[in-house]
Amino acid sequence: MALFRWGSAFDAFRDLEREMDRWIRRLDMAAGSRSGRVFPALNLYELEDEYLLVGELPGVEIQDLDVSVAGGQLQLSGERRLSDDVNDDKYRRRERSRGAWERHIQLPPRVQEDQIRAELVQGILKLHLPKMPNAEPRKISIQDASSSQLSLPGGSE
Amino acid sequence: MSTPQEPVETTPATGENKTPVVRWVRTPPIDIFETEQGLMLRADLPGVTTEGLELQIQDNRLTLFGRPSVSIPEVESLVHQEFESADFLRSFILSDDVDHEGITAKLQHGVLEVLLPRTSRAQPRKIEVQSG
Repeated sequence: MALFRWGSAFDAFRDLEREMDRWIRRLDMAAGSRSGRVFPALNLYELEDEYLLVGELPGVEIQDLDVSVAGGQLQLSGERRLSDDVNDDKYRRRERSRGAWERHIQLPPRVQEDQIRAELVQGILKLHLPKMPNAEPRKISIQDASSSQLSLPGGSE
Repeated sequence: MSTPQEPVETTPATGENKTPVVRWVRTPPIDIFETEQGLMLRADLPGVTTEGLELQIQDNRLTLFGRPSVSIPEVESLVHQEFESADFLRSFILSDDVDHEGITAKLQHGVLEVLLPRTSRAQPRKIEVQSG
């Protein structure tokens, strides 16, 4: 993924923004629109050294949750079983999401995939997505062309 | 077998004894189903621990209030949002056949479970018929 393209410095910034917009939109698309409530609801925060993906997974335990990452895609899946033993006709109200769920999220650019850390506390999932450290500017050496055999047009001693 | 009437939802009372700091509240999704003992109410309260939960019965109104204790970064750093990090609030009017004294609750993995038992007088009672 090209974050920088040749051109003015402003163009490079614009490219970065475009890239960010694109993956945010993808996140939207992945949310699906079957019902008003998305399960799990996810918030993404950008902090100094990492992105933090926070998901609301009430009633979900670690063994019911699967998190995997590959090729810049994060996949969250699991099944939410709510009282298997209760007959449908016993319900007076049924608003909580149930069943198998799956969400795919395009990771932000420059995330260290092998360093992703997850924690699940009180039904809140936190995924720490550390950013790659800023690359040191690399100096590109310029060869002295005067020593070569190259002759410039119109160049006369 | 008779079960208590479904609690009637009410607009939560606000303004009394509340901190002046404005905080958003949201309505948690709930399930209510019948059990042998009465009614079971379950509410999704992700991030809420027992310290942040208030369950109150006043007259026949049951109010649940939950403040998530799991820390979440400031709103300023939000890049994408699907939920508000707000408090949870919902309240219900209980029917007379709920035994208020017998109400029990537990909270686990961000799910609140409230058992609203049936009063003993609402239990089915067999009436002996004497032959005469």
